[in-house]
Amino acid sequence: MKFGAEEQSGKTTTSGQTKVGMALIALIAAAAFGLVTLPALAQDDTSATSTSTDSAGDPSVLRIGWAQDPQTLNPFVALDEENYNVWSLNWDLLTNFSTEDLSPVPGIAKSWEVSDDRKTVTFKLDPEKVWSDGEPVTSADVKFSLETLGGEGDIFSGYTDEITSIKTPDDETVVITTKRPDARIVGGIFVYIIPEHIYGDVPIKDLTGSYQPDLPLVGSGPYMVTEFDRGRIVQLEQNPEWNGPEPGFGEVQYIKYGNQDAVERALRLGEVDMVVEVDPSTFQRISEDPNIETLSSPSPSYTELAFNICPDDLCPDAERNTAIQDTAVRQAIAYAVDRERVNAISSRGTSTPGAGILPSFYTAFFETPEQNYEFDPEMAKQILDEAGWQDNGEGEARTQDGEELSFDLAVRSESPSNIQAAKVVAEQAADVGIIFNVDVISVDKLTEMTVRFQNGKPAPDFDTFIWGWGGDPYDPSFLLSLLTTDEIGSLSDGFYSNPEYDKLYDEQRGVFDTAERKALIQQMVALVQEDMGYLILTEDANLQAYRTDRIQGVEPACPSDGGDLICEQVSYEPLLAISPADGSSSSSGSDDGGGAGIVVAIIAAIAILGGGAMFLRSRSGRRKDDEPLEFEE
Amino acid sequence: MTSRWLAAKTGAAVLTLVFVLIFNFFLFRVMGDPTTQLARLPNSSPEEIAKLRADYGIDKPITGQFADYIGDTLTLDLGISQRSRETVWDEIKSALPWTLLLVGTGTALATLIGAWMGVMAASRRGTKTDDGLLGFSLFTYASPEYWIGIILILIFAVAIPILPAGQQVDPGIEFSSFFAEALNVAEHMILPVAAMTLMLLGQYFLIMRSSMVDVMTEDFITVKRAIGLPRERVINRHAVPNALLPLVTLAAIQFGAVVGGAITIETIFSWPGLGQLTFDAINTKDFPVLQGTFLVFSIGVILANLLADILYFFLDPRVQAR
Repeated sequence: MKFGAEEQSGKTTTSGQTKVGMALIALIAAAAFGLVTLPALAQDDTSATSTSTDSAGDPSVLRIGWAQDPQTLNPFVALDEENYNVWSLNWDLLTNFSTEDLSPVPGIAKSWEVSDDRKTVTFKLDPEKVWSDGEPVTSADVKFSLETLGGEGDIFSGYTDEITSIKTPDDETVVITTKRPDARIVGGIFVYIIPEHIYGDVPIKDLTGSYQPDLPLVGSGPYMVTEFDRGRIVQLEQNPEWNGPEPGFGEVQYIKYGNQDAVERALRLGEVDMVVEVDPSTFQRISEDPNIETLSSPSPSYTELAFNICPDDLCPDAERNTAIQDTAVRQAIAYAVDRERVNAISSRGTSTPGAGILPSFYTAFFETPEQNYEFDPEMAKQILDEAGWQDNGEGEARTQDGEELSFDLAVRSESPSNIQAAKVVAEQAADVGIIFNVDVISVDKLTEMTVRFQNGKPAPDFDTFIWGWGGDPYDPSFLLSLLTTDEIGSLSDGFYSNPEYDKLYDEQRGVFDTAERKALIQQMVALVQEDMGYLILTEDANLQAYRTDRIQGVEPACPSDGGDLICEQVSYEPLLAISPADGSSSSSGSDDGGGAGIVVAIIAAIAILGGGAMFLRSRSGRRKDDEPLEFEE
Repeated sequence: MTSRWLAAKTGAAVLTLVFVLIFNFFLFRVMGDPTTQLARLPNSSPEEIAKLRADYGIDKPITGQFADYIGDTLTLDLGISQRSRETVWDEIKSALPWTLLLVGTGTALATLIGAWMGVMAASRRGTKTDDGLLGFSLFTYASPEYWIGIILILIFAVAIPILPAGQQVDPGIEFSSFFAEALNVAEHMILPVAAMTLMLLGQYFLIMRSSMVDVMTEDFITVKRAIGLPRERVINRHAVPNALLPLVTLAAIQFGAVVGGAITIETIFSWPGLGQLTFDAINTKDFPVLQGTFLVFSIGVILANLLADILYFFLDPRVQAR
């Protein structure tokens, strides 16, 4: 207030003005406070279920970040893959998976016996198993789960198709009989055993409708969900009835972030301790942080180049360039495409180049196929020459009798890595005279093209596309089934059909002996390689990262040789083995800043409100009062 | 006259609302048969698909569906989320307060600061202050809000980690008191609100500045000045109130629009409001939720416009005189 003479008039003028100004500021402050309290009130009832106290940075809490969270915990209607992360800690399967090689180990069942005709398996349950609410786990729960959840659950269907009867002679015995031998009965029924006394009383219409299970989510695993706030957090606490090894972390939190960048930033800032799905594009960069360890592990999933090779009798109205049905052309494509390069470019080297339709993840059954189409453009050209496809020069499509080696290659717009893979395929195939026109389309459009029906028969409308599949943790039947003739008109999207393959598929499925089954599966892989019915470009990895200053005791699991961090979605055992890192304090990036943040906030608020007040009281700055106002122009 | 004017304005708003309702219905029907989305598992049997169609009421003829839709919407029954199986209204109800908090605070701050800056600039027209403020506002106005958000995160959460970069509250905490929770929320709000404020600031500043410049060239200002009133008093007492009119209208109209415009900011800051709900619904193709949020956004804009009209009525005597 260095305005001397104006001071006088200033006082009189501001009196009225100040009141208005102060009232305005008070109003805004009140409104802001009201707005702050509004959601807090709304949220009160949901957080009330949590029994934990202040846990941010609490070393006994494992905080895992993700960008997609489950939308419901009801197993009957859930469709999200993320559900498995939560359920696999909460529930057991009839037989769980070995963390060493994923073979069947006791779950709800303690032991099992296969009959001589291999059609009947008798399971003995573990009498020590108790639900988290204290009720015993009985054979009735198993029967209920396999029949009801296996029959009605959206993502659990298909596993129990071959079962003809489930008998429960006593509380601890379950006898499962199948139409024909089915090796999946031991180790391949991915249907959680859920408590009948909770779900059995709910009408099936509700279970498959808008039913939401009560919390804590009653289960038999080491943890149980105690809080589920969609879009924000899934919190699991230790099951009080758990009698296995003591978990290193008493609590597990899955925290939802708005996008993948935010998740990875949260890891770097120490807001979360682990990220279970790192993006290939940032994987390298994250690993440069000294406190972060990254882990890449194989998974039972692949990215494939599929060809529309549906036989004419099965798909009379298929729309395609029929040249794709020439085996020589597909073999040439397989030789022309460098899968190492596809991997290096589309997934930044984080995946593994494909080697046949059985991912190397299935260590018990995998063998590199003899005919593995190592990158060899000269061989590709030779095959095409021999098949009569005339060379029209570099970059031009080869031709024969009016047919042209020019194919549409569809990819999903939502997958940048698939688009990159398509570009590599197109670029390399062009060198041998096969032209791919890359067509980036929506996933809906691609689905529509592959599942098209005409006159009651499948009528796929595409030449080639790039997409992917994911299989079960131990039993490879699902991935193998995709190429059976039975699946044409259902799941098959490459429309491969080979009676010999179908026969082998049925046979391997009934073989419980691993070595014997492996030999059969190898024959199947070899058949598809020879026919080149499906070109597996890459086997995709699980990319994970964790903070070494927060977590210790990490041993790769599932399989123990080069496996993943916590055997995500498959087994809870590795999670029990890890523990808070020595000296991991209760502080983390954001908490350090907690107090400072508030101080900054208060200073900012004062500055803003003060500024507002100054404005309302101001003597219009440096200008003298007797200067003219600006009326010019 | 007053009541007729008001009735006309309300009538127009209701008509727009009806149009939006109808448009919203067809918009989501044009996008194809929702069962192709519902039947995510390609091997769904025809019976299952028929059941799904019945569950979602799309087995009826289109007129029947339309009647159902209007009736349901009027009773706030916006359907059931395909993914969570919660009612859409419940999902919106839990997200809406967070969006209002973010947008409300951001709009309030942007209006206040923008107006202040506008007056500063207009009363110092042609000076360096004016140029500086103008440049700053044009810069923030032109910058995409997600860019501003990311820069704020980089500075205040990564380079100098003093503020949380996302979420509305530290996850998984049971707060000792309501006040502690509100404080935690306030801390989490700083960056998203700052981004929101910067996003909106520019337009308020520009409007206020040009409005002030206009007002200050009017005769009554010259008269006030001529009768010897101090410059500052003329500005604060006579020029500002008159110049505020367009700003109020803009703020009211904007409030409705930015409820939808917060989508990118909410996504960047993992803020669990309507924007994030919409973003996730788009990602998972949850049409009932999308339909619900679209409706809420439209209603927001319509109501805000109506409110602006009514506010104007009280603020500007010229409207009442008409």
